[in-house]
Amino acid sequence: MARETSSDRGLATESARASEPRESRSWLWSLGIGVAILGLIATVPLLGDQSVLSLWTFILMYCVLAQSWNFIGGYAGRPAFGNVAFFGIGAYTVSLLLLAHQSYWLGLALAPIIAGLFAFLLGLPVLRLRGHYFAIATLGVAEALGEIVQSKNIGAPAGEISLTPPDMNFELSNALFFYGFLVLSLLLLLGTVWLTRTRFGYALVAIRENEEAAEALGISTYWYKVGAFVLSAVPTAIAGGLFAYWQLSFDPVGEGGAFDVTISVAMILMTFLGGAGTILGPILGAIIIEYLDQYTSVAFTTIHGPLLGLLIIVVTIFLPQGLIRLVQELVRSPAGVKQSYPVRFKQGVRRVTRFILSNGI
Amino acid sequence: MENLPQFVVNWILLGCFYAAIGLGFSLIWGIMNIVNLAQGSLIIIGAYVTYWSYTVLHINPFLGMLVAMVVGFCVGFVLQYVLINRVIRAPFLVTFMLTFGLDLFISNVLQAVFTGGYRAINTSYSSAAINLFGAHIPLLNVAVAILALVLTALLGLFLSRTRLGNAILAIGMDRDAAQLMGIGVAAIYAVTFGIGSALAGAAGGMLAMTLQFSPIFTGQYTLFAFVIVALGGLGTPWAALAGGMLFAFAEVFGPLLPGVGFGLDIAIAFAVLVLVLILRPNGLLGRPFYS
Amino acid sequence: MSHASSYPTASSATDGTQVPILQLEHVTKRFGGLPAVEDLTFSLRRGEVLGMIGPNGAGKSTAISLIGGALAPTEGIVRFQGQDITRFAPHQRAHLGIARTFQITQPFAQLDIRDNVIVGALFGGRIRTRKEAAQRADAILERVRLVDKAHLKGDELTVADRKRLEMARALALQPELLLLDEVMAGLTPREVGEAVELIREINQSGVTVLVVEHVMQAITGVSDRILVLHHGRKIAEDKPDAVLSDPQVIEAYLGERYARQRAGEQSRRLAQQVGGEVPPATPGGAEKENAE
Repeated sequence: MARETSSDRGLATESARASEPRESRSWLWSLGIGVAILGLIATVPLLGDQSVLSLWTFILMYCVLAQSWNFIGGYAGRPAFGNVAFFGIGAYTVSLLLLAHQSYWLGLALAPIIAGLFAFLLGLPVLRLRGHYFAIATLGVAEALGEIVQSKNIGAPAGEISLTPPDMNFELSNALFFYGFLVLSLLLLLGTVWLTRTRFGYALVAIRENEEAAEALGISTYWYKVGAFVLSAVPTAIAGGLFAYWQLSFDPVGEGGAFDVTISVAMILMTFLGGAGTILGPILGAIIIEYLDQYTSVAFTTIHGPLLGLLIIVVTIFLPQGLIRLVQELVRSPAGVKQSYPVRFKQGVRRVTRFILSNGI
Repeated sequence: MENLPQFVVNWILLGCFYAAIGLGFSLIWGIMNIVNLAQGSLIIIGAYVTYWSYTVLHINPFLGMLVAMVVGFCVGFVLQYVLINRVIRAPFLVTFMLTFGLDLFISNVLQAVFTGGYRAINTSYSSAAINLFGAHIPLLNVAVAILALVLTALLGLFLSRTRLGNAILAIGMDRDAAQLMGIGVAAIYAVTFGIGSALAGAAGGMLAMTLQFSPIFTGQYTLFAFVIVALGGLGTPWAALAGGMLFAFAEVFGPLLPGVGFGLDIAIAFAVLVLVLILRPNGLLGRPFYS
Repeated sequence: MSHASSYPTASSATDGTQVPILQLEHVTKRFGGLPAVEDLTFSLRRGEVLGMIGPNGAGKSTAISLIGGALAPTEGIVRFQGQDITRFAPHQRAHLGIARTFQITQPFAQLDIRDNVIVGALFGGRIRTRKEAAQRADAILERVRLVDKAHLKGDELTVADRKRLEMARALALQPELLLLDEVMAGLTPREVGEAVELIREINQSGVTVLVVEHVMQAITGVSDRILVLHHGRKIAEDKPDAVLSDPQVIEAYLGERYARQRAGEQSRRLAQQVGGEVPPATPGGAEKENAE
C-alpha cells in the first residue's frame, strides 16, 4: 500500500487541486447566500408593520421546519410524513408547563429533549419499515397524537390551548419571536453546512442514494437513520415551542393546529421546491411557498386551495429535483474541464431541459 | 356486550364497504408503486356523480354507480396519461406529492362549487331493514357489501383471466421486461389508473347510498384506503378485503376496550397498522407483487 | 464434491496451518422453497485468488451476498478468519475487512465519482477525516484509471466505468477479502484484460480475492483455484487446468457452452438458455444485468 500511495502522490494532489476549489466554493456560496438572505430578512421588524412582521415570522418558522425536515427527508431520503408530531409535542410541552405556571424557558429546554426522545423511540420500529409504509406510519403517529390530545382533553377541553401573553409590550414580544425563529434558522443553516462536511452527512447521503451499497461500505444505515430522525425532531420541537407562546391560542388538529398534517406536507413541499438535500433549498422553498400561500389566501380567498394544489402539481412535474439543483446543473462543468461561461451555460440549458423532462416513460 | 350481534353485523358491513374503498388504491399501488393520495377525491367525485344522477336525472343509484365508474375511469385514465406518467420513474415521494396536489386541487374545487355541506341519497328503500338475533340489519348496506365482494371477485378474474389483465400484471412485476415484450407501458398504466379510479367511483357510489359525504372527507378516505391496503397487503384484490375487515374490526370493537373510548378512530387504526406492519411487513396477505 | 475435503476446515485449522480467511460450512439459502445455494462448503486461504464460475442462476450472486451479509443463510455457517460471522450485518463485515462489488452496479447516483469513493474510504473503519479519505480516494481512482472522470456523477458512466467504480469503492475500504461479482461482464476484450491485470495487482498488494464470473476464460489466468457452481451446488473445485478437464464440468456447463459458441451464437442468448433456473427476486432483481 505504501508503495502505491507514494508513487501516486503527484497525481493525487493534482486531481485534488482540480476538485478541491469547486467543492469549497459550492458550500461557501450556499453559506454566504443563506446568511445574506437571513440578514436581509432580519431587517423586517424595522418596517414597523405588524402584519408584515407576522408574515415573515411565519416564513421563518417554515424555514426552520423545512430545514429540519431536510435532515431526514432531504439528506437521508426517508419520506417522513409526520414531522408535525414533533412540532406539536414542542407546542404542547411549552403550553402545559406555562399552564402549570412554570417558566417558559424550562418548556423551551424540555421540548426538544422530549421530542428527541420520542423520535428515537418511534424511529426504532418505524425506520425498519420500507418506503410508503414508513411514510404512512409516521403520518399516522402524527394524526393519532393530535386525536389523543383532542379527545383526552389534554391541556384544555378538546386540547384547545389558550395562554396568557408574556408580560411585555405586544410589539416587542412579536419582534422577539421573529428573531427567535431567525436565530434558529441561522443555526440550522450552519448546522447543515457543517453536516455536509462530516462523516455523518456522507453517511446520510449514501443511504439516500443506495442503502444496500451504503451498508456494504460499512455504514450502519439503521443507526444513522435513527440519528437523522432525532436530528430533524429537535429543532422542529423548538419551533413548536416558539409557535405556542407566539400564537397564544391554537387547536390540536384542524387548520392551523399544532398537529395539523398540512404542516408536514408544507415542510416537504417547500424542501422539494427549493431542493431536497441541499443547503439552501428549504429556505428558498419556504420563502416562496409561504409567501405565495399567504398572498393568495388574502387576494384569492376562494380559489386559494386549488391554486396551492396546482402549484404542487407544477412543482412536482417540472421541478422534482428542486430549484437549487436546477441552478447547479446550469453552472456545472462536467469532468472538471475548464469552459467559458457561455459554453457552460448553453450545455447547462440542454442538461436542464433533459433533466426536467427525464422522468417520464 | 348484550348487543354483540349488532357489533358483528356492523363490523361485517363496514368491512365490506372498506374493502371497496381500498380496492382501487390497492391496484394502483400494487402495479405502479403509486400511493395515490387523490383516491379520496376520486371517491368523492364518484359520490357526487351518483348523487346528481339520482337527484337530477332520476337514475337509480345502483345504475348511477355504474355511471360513476365510467366517469372515474375517464378521469383516472387522463390523469395518469397526462400527468403521472411524466414522473413515474422519479422517487416515490414525487408521485406522493403530485397526487397530494391533485387531491388538494380536486377537493378544493369541489368545495368551491358544491360547498362543504353534507349530502346523502335518500330513496324510498333507504331505511329498509330486517331484525335478526336482536341486530338491526339495513338492507341497502347489505346490498353494498355484496356489491363490494362482487367487485373484488371481478377484479381478481379480470387480472387473471383476460389478456389486458395479464398485461397489467406483467408490467407490475417487471416494467422493463414487459416493455421489451412489446407491451405499451404508458397506455397500460393509464388503463390501470383508470380501473383504480373506476373502483374509487364505485366506492363513492356506495358511500353516497349509505352515508353522508362532503368534499372535506377526501383526505380521510385516502387515509382509510391506505390503512386498509397496508393492513391487508399488496398481493391480491382479496388482500383489500382482509385489510378492510381488520380495519373495520378495530374501529367497531376498539372503542369497547377499557380506557380507549370513542373519538379515537384514527389512533386505533394506526395502532393496529403499526402493530401489523411490525409483525408482518407485507401485510396480512401480502406478496411481493400483484398476482 | 471430492475436492472439498482437501482444503482445511475449521477443525483441522488448529494443527499449525494458517486459519483460512474465509470458510463456508454447509451453507444453504432457500428463497421460499427454492434453493439458490445448497450445502456449499469451501474455504479461501489468505492471499489467494479463487474464481467462482457457473451458468446464470447457479447461485453465484447469492453466494456473494451470503458472504457479504446482504443475505442470511437458511442453514450453515460463514466464518471470517475463524470467527463465526453468519449473523453479522453487512456493515459489520465491512468493518472486519470484507468488501464486495455488486453485479448490478449500485453507484450513489447523485454523488460524483470521487465522493462515491470517499464514502467507501470514510467508513471502512480505518479513516476518520474527510481529508484523509479524499487523499485515499484520489490514489484509488488513479489506480483504477478513473481520475479523468472523477467529477462525473454516478449515473453518467459507461458500463465499464461503473464496474471500475464498484471496484474503486470496495478498495477504498482497504479490505482483506475482496468479493468481485461479475466485474467483467459486459466489458470489451481489452477492458477485460485491464480488469484482470487490476485484479492481479490488487492480489499482489496482499488482498485475498473471490472473483465471480460466468465468462470462464476471463478468470482462468488470474485464479489460483476455480470453484464451479451448478444449480446452487458445488460440482468442482480445483486448479484451473483440472477444472477445465473435469468431465462433470464440461458436461454441465462448458460443453454446452462451447458447443453453442462454435455454432456462432451470441453469448447473451446462451446465458439465458443455459441458466435454466433463476432464483426469485432478491432486492433489485438479482441476475438481470447478465443478459447484457
